[in-house]
Amino acid sequence: MNLNLKENTTERNRVLWGTVAFVALLIALTVSIKGSTGLQWILSGLTVGSIYSLVAIGFSIIYASTRVINFAQGEFSMLGGLLLYSLCTKAGLPVPVGFLLAVIIVTLIGAGFERTAIHHLRGQSVITMIIVTIGFSIFLRAIALWSWGSNPLPIASFSGDKSVRFLGASLVPQNLWVFGFTAVMVILVFLFFNRTLVGKGMRAAAANPDAASMVGVSTSMSSLIAWALAAAIGAAAGIIIAPITMPSYGIGTMLGLKGFTAAVLGGLGNAPGAVVGGLVLGVLEKVAGGALPQGYSGYTDALAFLILILVLLLRPQGLLGKPEGIKV
Amino acid sequence: MPGPTVSYRNLLVVAAFIFLLPIWARLVPGSALHFDIVNLMVLAGIYAFAVIGLNLLVGYAGQVSLGHAAFFGIGAYTTAILCTRFAWFPTWLGVLFGALLAGVAGLLIGIPVLRLKGNYLAIATLAFGEISYIFFRQSGITGGTVGITRIPPFSMFGFSFDSDLRFFFLVWICVMVLMLLTINIIQSRVGRALRALHSSEVAADAMGVNTGRYKTKAFVLSAVFAGLGGALFAHFQRYINPESFMLTISILFLTMVVIGGMGNIWGALVGAISLTFLPEVIRALPQWIPGLPEGLANFNNYVLVLYGLLLMVFMIFMPQGMTVGLARGVSYGEMQAKRLKDRIRARKFSRGE
Amino acid sequence: MLKTRMRAKPVVVVLALLLVLSLAVYGCGKKKITSEEPYKIGAVLSLSGPNAPLGQPEERSLKLLQKQINAEGGINGHRVTFIIEDDMSDPAKASTAIAKLITQDNVAAVIGSSGTGTTLAMAPIAEREKVAQVCCAAGTKITQPVNKWIFRTPPTDSMAIEKVLQYLKSNLKVSKIAILHDANAFGVGGADELTAKAPGKGVEIVTRESYGSTDVDMTTQLTKIKDTPAQALVVWGTNPGPAIITKNMQQLGIKIPFVGSHGIANKKFIELAGPAGNGVVFPAGRMLIPSSIPADSEWRKSVDEFIKDYKAAYNADPDTFAGHGWDAGLIITDAMKTANTDRVQLRSQIEKTKDLAGIGGVFTYSPTNHDGLDVNDLIMVKVDNGAWTEVK
Repeated sequence: MNLNLKENTTERNRVLWGTVAFVALLIALTVSIKGSTGLQWILSGLTVGSIYSLVAIGFSIIYASTRVINFAQGEFSMLGGLLLYSLCTKAGLPVPVGFLLAVIIVTLIGAGFERTAIHHLRGQSVITMIIVTIGFSIFLRAIALWSWGSNPLPIASFSGDKSVRFLGASLVPQNLWVFGFTAVMVILVFLFFNRTLVGKGMRAAAANPDAASMVGVSTSMSSLIAWALAAAIGAAAGIIIAPITMPSYGIGTMLGLKGFTAAVLGGLGNAPGAVVGGLVLGVLEKVAGGALPQGYSGYTDALAFLILILVLLLRPQGLLGKPEGIKV
Repeated sequence: MPGPTVSYRNLLVVAAFIFLLPIWARLVPGSALHFDIVNLMVLAGIYAFAVIGLNLLVGYAGQVSLGHAAFFGIGAYTTAILCTRFAWFPTWLGVLFGALLAGVAGLLIGIPVLRLKGNYLAIATLAFGEISYIFFRQSGITGGTVGITRIPPFSMFGFSFDSDLRFFFLVWICVMVLMLLTINIIQSRVGRALRALHSSEVAADAMGVNTGRYKTKAFVLSAVFAGLGGALFAHFQRYINPESFMLTISILFLTMVVIGGMGNIWGALVGAISLTFLPEVIRALPQWIPGLPEGLANFNNYVLVLYGLLLMVFMIFMPQGMTVGLARGVSYGEMQAKRLKDRIRARKFSRGE
Repeated sequence: MLKTRMRAKPVVVVLALLLVLSLAVYGCGKKKITSEEPYKIGAVLSLSGPNAPLGQPEERSLKLLQKQINAEGGINGHRVTFIIEDDMSDPAKASTAIAKLITQDNVAAVIGSSGTGTTLAMAPIAEREKVAQVCCAAGTKITQPVNKWIFRTPPTDSMAIEKVLQYLKSNLKVSKIAILHDANAFGVGGADELTAKAPGKGVEIVTRESYGSTDVDMTTQLTKIKDTPAQALVVWGTNPGPAIITKNMQQLGIKIPFVGSHGIANKKFIELAGPAGNGVVFPAGRMLIPSSIPADSEWRKSVDEFIKDYKAAYNADPDTFAGHGWDAGLIITDAMKTANTDRVQLRSQIEKTKDLAGIGGVFTYSPTNHDGLDVNDLIMVKVDNGAWTEVK
């Protein structure tokens, strides 16, 4: 175990500032070369990047507490969006009410799964955990297909569609909702894990379960809260992005894969890392998509996975994560 | 943990059972249905190639892979491209090249990626699988999104395997050969080394087992097997497109290994056969139950719901898979039976008989 | 020794159980043969999976057609049965399904499938077993080169492209266009076709961009297009991509005309795009706007009746996919009047189909043309305040 904490923090700070510098440089280059077109790419990158970040936060919270990769994280967001359609667009409830209800429903689903499957299987092999969460994602997707059909669903934007211009680029109000929500989430998650007793307890349980239980922190409760939180954040994210994504039963797959790339890029189990990872991934995708010549734009999908492999091979702990010990 | 010897006699029993299948199917009254049962068994056999290899990698060597559809696809596309671009190219050579290329890919990917453990290895292999799929979909040489049509049927020594029945025997004979090979490997020094590194990589390393080399060997072998299966798949379906090599197939292979039973080589066959037949059995069920309401009668909607449920339930109640779980169940049952017998005998004895 | 025997037993038991179960299920599922043997036509459609929106209306049409034919006395005194299987949008399942229909159910011909991939997987089996296959998919490769046993009912992608090019030249009078297409098979197929045919019609393609089927923001590609001299944008993809693009175009203030594909020839697009979708133009079958078909023609009569009956039976308007399904059933049952259930004769009779009025158009096949329709069976449709109007 690496006890040289000071060196660790300095190194992490270096990486964080390095990343910020890299992204700033990229933005500067793009805008100077491509002007307002380039700025549009950056904005688009930040939009999709925020979406990835929100999903990534969910992954990281669960991984930090239970060392489980939740292959169904994307499905939480999918369910949020589809439930909002049913509650607001079809049944006519006002959006804040629908939002709350949808989030509660998905949180219950996530908590239910944690109690029946995850809690029961704690300590089992990696393969078992992988298959059980994959099974969960297949199950949720199939239920969604059965209930809502295969067509994408239209959901009205929260504040209309009039575009907002600045500096030659444009955004729609829903983009601002996404940015705002991501910022709020980051702050809330930070406050939760650093300023509340529950959050700090969860971090303790993740770092050293035995010591934590000795001081009265329950690892079982920690796991439950982590899953409930991830489900809630996932659902909320799904709702905020729904007017942009036009969700259908299958959207969880893409969200899950990209979100999880973002989480690994930022450092699995590291919430601020998740956000950094998401934004970097989004901006890289859109700038590459813009810069690549015509025939190759189909390969930008591969960019995310390439980044994933590179991160895993070169720096598995991601940008902001701590190197994990070797499990014996 | 995987036990010691597996008898070759069992292999013969199972082989006989399977080869008699086309006849068994004919015996079922009122149907000439063995062609599509045979058709399904061919597919199960083709998948079994990949599953046997993956079982070795996951169950014995203790690694994980969520990207094996890529090797399956490399095998398929190699033989498809060679045999459609060059009309003279012998199909058996195409299949061999397919398996070889898949093995090479396994080596190139395995060496860097096997340094990772557990979850991280799973993610890395998943990423590799996705990159391969995107390549299959984008590249001109693979026919892009439409894929490759008019792949010639498999033929050897002038004999063309053009019907389901012929392919059935071809595939299952090969599967039995693979099983033989794998049993040999497991019982050899290599197998013991793999099992050692599965229980504890550090201990195995300390004992002088070159863990890196064995892991890579297992990975490459599983890639070759998958490539072989993929190549035969191309000659069976005679048309391939990238959709047949997506993440869902990688997950299917892994699921077949896990549900079939890890640490037991029979698990591969049990998993491959049961998970190929199960969706079809579920879909056929409504014909058994008369008078179902409209929404319920279309079981196509249920198949995926039940599949997801099945995975979760299995992991919760029988995480070691069917063969191991049922074997334990059977030995538990036998033990209870023996206890009962003893108790009866004891009671008889105490009554002075 | 004991241990290994114990381990093989459960395996054999499990395998035996599974196989017996499967055999029993298939055995019970076999339909009883009556003395008045119905004419059986197989159908492999995508009732679940990504292509379900295509397969489900096709299934409904076939069921409707079956009811109508049997109500009128069947074909040559025999009832007609469509045995419909779901391929779950999976090529492997499609080939299993057609194998089962041909060998177990002994069908005279097969309809299928809804999508190009599944259709191509069925073709080798249809060819090997010498059974005619009438598909509802639009992929060019299916009939190029012409396969003796495969026919199709929908208009092809190249017909749609031709219609679009006609529109660009005659109505919009533009000479420079940009293409933005989905990276899936449908999008790539259309874009390739357009790239190949446009120069011949005097239309220059200044840039060609693509987007992923699951992408949610296409502003990057659109800003690049905005920077080019393109006078119109052709978008080739299936929902929700094109709808997202209309919204992105509104956001960026891009005003050039949006010409779509028949992938948006449905109400879903209008729902998703909302007001941003107004003014969008796309090629589609004439049944979308029945008044575009000459009033006194057989074709018009068929379409009017079909719409009326479909609505009465299913409480929903039929879409073009429902039409393709109906046409496939119609073509086979029409040929059956002469050829009955002889598979080889049925194929020849289908090939001899001439001026048969269906829903998608008036069908004529020949040994060199297994597509049945031509570009004149399509019209350009404009989205106007949530409704469709014909563009003359």
